[in-house]
Amino acid sequence: MRKVLLIIRREYLVRVRTKAFIIFTVLMPLLIGAGFILPSKLMLQSAGTKRIVIVAADSALANSIKTELAASHASDDDDAPLPERKKPIRPEFNVSVDTAPSEALRQQLTTEVREGKLDGFAWIETDAVSTRKALYYSRNASDFIEAQLVSRAFRFALSERELAGHGFSAAESKTLLGPVAVDTVRIDKQGANKSNGIGAFLLPYFLLIAIYVTVLIYGVYVMRSVIEEKSSRVIEVLLGSVTPMQLMAGKIIGVGAVGLTQIGIWAAAGTILGTGGLAMARQVLGDSLKDAHISMAAMVLFPVFFLLGYATYACLYAAIGAMCNSDEEAQQLQFPVTLPLILCMICAMAIIRDPNTPLAFWLSMFPLTSPIIMYVRISVSSPPVWQIAASIAISLASLYGLVWLTSRIYRVGILMYGKRPTLPEILKWVRYA
Amino acid sequence: MAFTLELDGVTKAFDEFVAVDKLSFNIPEGEIFGLLGPNGAGKTSTIRMMIGITVPDSGAVRVFGQPLSRLLLDRVGYLPEERGLYKKMKIMENLVFLAQLKGIAVPEATRRAHEWLERLDLALWGNSKVEELSKGMQQKVQFIAAVIHEPDFMILDEPFSGLDPAGSLVLKDVLLDLKKQGKTILFSTHRMDTVERLCDSICLVNQGRSVLLGVLREIKASYGRSSVQLEYEGELPLLTDPTLVASSNDFGNYVELRLAPGADPQELLEVAMRTARIRKFELVEPSLEEIFLDTVQSTKAVIHA
Repeated sequence: MRKVLLIIRREYLVRVRTKAFIIFTVLMPLLIGAGFILPSKLMLQSAGTKRIVIVAADSALANSIKTELAASHASDDDDAPLPERKKPIRPEFNVSVDTAPSEALRQQLTTEVREGKLDGFAWIETDAVSTRKALYYSRNASDFIEAQLVSRAFRFALSERELAGHGFSAAESKTLLGPVAVDTVRIDKQGANKSNGIGAFLLPYFLLIAIYVTVLIYGVYVMRSVIEEKSSRVIEVLLGSVTPMQLMAGKIIGVGAVGLTQIGIWAAAGTILGTGGLAMARQVLGDSLKDAHISMAAMVLFPVFFLLGYATYACLYAAIGAMCNSDEEAQQLQFPVTLPLILCMICAMAIIRDPNTPLAFWLSMFPLTSPIIMYVRISVSSPPVWQIAASIAISLASLYGLVWLTSRIYRVGILMYGKRPTLPEILKWVRYA
Repeated sequence: MAFTLELDGVTKAFDEFVAVDKLSFNIPEGEIFGLLGPNGAGKTSTIRMMIGITVPDSGAVRVFGQPLSRLLLDRVGYLPEERGLYKKMKIMENLVFLAQLKGIAVPEATRRAHEWLERLDLALWGNSKVEELSKGMQQKVQFIAAVIHEPDFMILDEPFSGLDPAGSLVLKDVLLDLKKQGKTILFSTHRMDTVERLCDSICLVNQGRSVLLGVLREIKASYGRSSVQLEYEGELPLLTDPTLVASSNDFGNYVELRLAPGADPQELLEVAMRTARIRKFELVEPSLEEIFLDTVQSTKAVIHA
C-alpha cells in the first residue's frame, strides 16, 4: 500500500507541475466561455440597422407596417418557441414609404439594393389585403430574420385593419395581437425551479463538455504514462520493486487525482467568477439566462460520474498503452475505445432536449456510456433515484471486471516489445496471467 | 556454505519457444558470479525470474535461503540491460523515488544519492533532467539506482556498457569495494575481459541451457596450457592445419590459437618460423573468450547435428 501511495504521489506531482496542466486549467473555461459568447456576439453584429422601403398604393397600410417594423426591435413577443427567442438578433429598421408604385420605381429600388444603398424593399400590390401576399426584395435571401419580421409586420398591419373594421380600438387590438408568455418550470426534488429554455440547454451542455473532455484527456494521460514507462524501460526497474497491479493502480489513482484537482480548481473559479461571468453572458444573451442554474445534485454528482467514467476509460487506455510501443501505434488502437465517448456526444444533444427516452435510459445504463449520459440526464431532469443508483451500481460492477481483465493484459503487455499483439495473442495473455 | 541465490531446475517457455530450460546454479554469499551467454541465450529471462517479474513454469528460485517473495526483493538491487529512468525527472528525484520504493526514507535516500553522485563524478548533475545526460552518465545514475538501498544481492545486466575507460575503472573499484563488504553480485554480460578479472564463478548459458558451470579458476585450469599467443609478421598457413591447430582467432599480426589434441607446441613454433617472423610466442591458459566461443560453437554443432 505504501508503494502504491508513492506511485500515486509521483504521477500526481509530475503532472501537476507541468506547464500543460496549468495552461489547460486556465484555457478550458475560457474556451468553453468563448464557445458560448462568440456566436451570440457575432449574431449581434450582423443585426445593426436595416434601411428598407415599403412600396404600397395604400398609404395607411404602408404606414401601419412601418410602425410595426419600428416597434419590432423593442418588442418582446412572438409565437416562436422560447429557446429560439433571442431578442437582440433583431435589427433596427429605418423604413421609408413610397405610395406610388411603378415599374420604374421597382427598377430603381432593385438597383439600389444591388448597390447596397438599400437593404431591401417590400412590394405590396393593391389587392394585398384580400390575397395576403407581398414580395420582399433583398440582396441576401438567407437573411430570413429580416423577411420574417417584414412578414410579421405585414400580418399585424392586416389584422389591425380587420380588427378596426370590427370596431376594436387601437389599444384593444394591440392587446389582442400581443404575445402570451409561457415559461418552463422544471420540477425536481427541491421543488419547482423556474428555468428559462436556453439557459436550461446551455448549462447541461457546458457540464457535458466538461465531463467528456476530462474523462477523455485523463484517460489518454494514463495511456501515455504507461507507454512512457514502457518505451523508456523504467518499467523493468519498477517491476523489481512493485507488482504490475500496484503500478497500474497507483497510476490510475494518481492521474485521476490530477483530474479531480483540475475540476476542483474549475469549480472554485466558477463559483467566484460565475456571478461575473453569468452577468456578462446575460448581457449578450439577454434574459434567456436569467434563471440558469446548476442543481445541487448536478454539482455533487459531477465528481462521482467523472470518477466512474475516468476509471472505466483509464483501465481501457492502460491496457492499450501496455499493448503498444509508441504513441503513434496507440493512436490507431485508441479509436475503438474512444468511439463510445463520441457516441455519447452525438446522442447528448437529443438527450438534453428529451432526457427520458428509451435510448437515453439504455445509454445511461450501458457502462461505457453511462457515466456521461446519466450525468447529462441528471443535469437536465430528475431521473428516478433507482435509475441513478442502478447506473452507478452497473458501472462499479463492470469496473471490477474491467480492472481484472485489463490488469492481466497490462501485466503481460508491459514486458512485450516489438510487434503489436493480435487479438488471439491478447486473449492468451488474459488466460496466461 | 550459505547461498544468496539458488536456481533449481528453472524452466520458462513462451508459447513453443523454451527460453530457459531446466537451469540450475547456486551463487555463494559474497561472490561475484558471471552469467554469460550469447544474445538470446536466456540471460534476461533468467534474471526476470530472479526478481519476480515473471514466474517460472517449473522449478524453484530461492533468495537468501528462502523462496522468492516480494519482501525479500527490498534486499535485491537490479540494473536492467535496457536503461530505464524517468527522462523528464531530475536525477535526484529519480534516485529518491526509486530508493523510496525500496523502503528508504526521503532524507536518508537524499543523503545517499548525494554521496553516490559525488563518488561517480556526477555531483554537479543532481538537478539536471535525465534526458540532458550523456549515455555514460545515465548508466552511472542507473547503477546508483540499483545500489542506493544497499542491497545484499545485486543483479547487474551489462553494467559496463556505455562507460568510458575512466568510468569503467571507477565502477570496477566500486564493485570490488562492495564485494569486500560481503555483498553478492551477479553479472550478466558477454564482455569476457571484465568477467575474467572480476568473477569468482561463472555459468555459461546457451539456448536456455547451462553449458558450462563452475569456479572460473578451475574451469580455466581444466583446459590446461593448451593455448598459444603468437605475435608475428608474414603469413601463417599452418592455422588451417587440423593436425596442429584446433581453433584460432587471428587479428592479422596477433593470433590466439588452441592446439589440436596431441599437437606439440614446439613443432608448431618450428612450422610457424618457416613462413613468418615470430616476435612473441607464449603458451597460456585459454582466455575466457576462447572458452566461450569454443563452448558456444560446439553446443551449436551438437544441436544442429
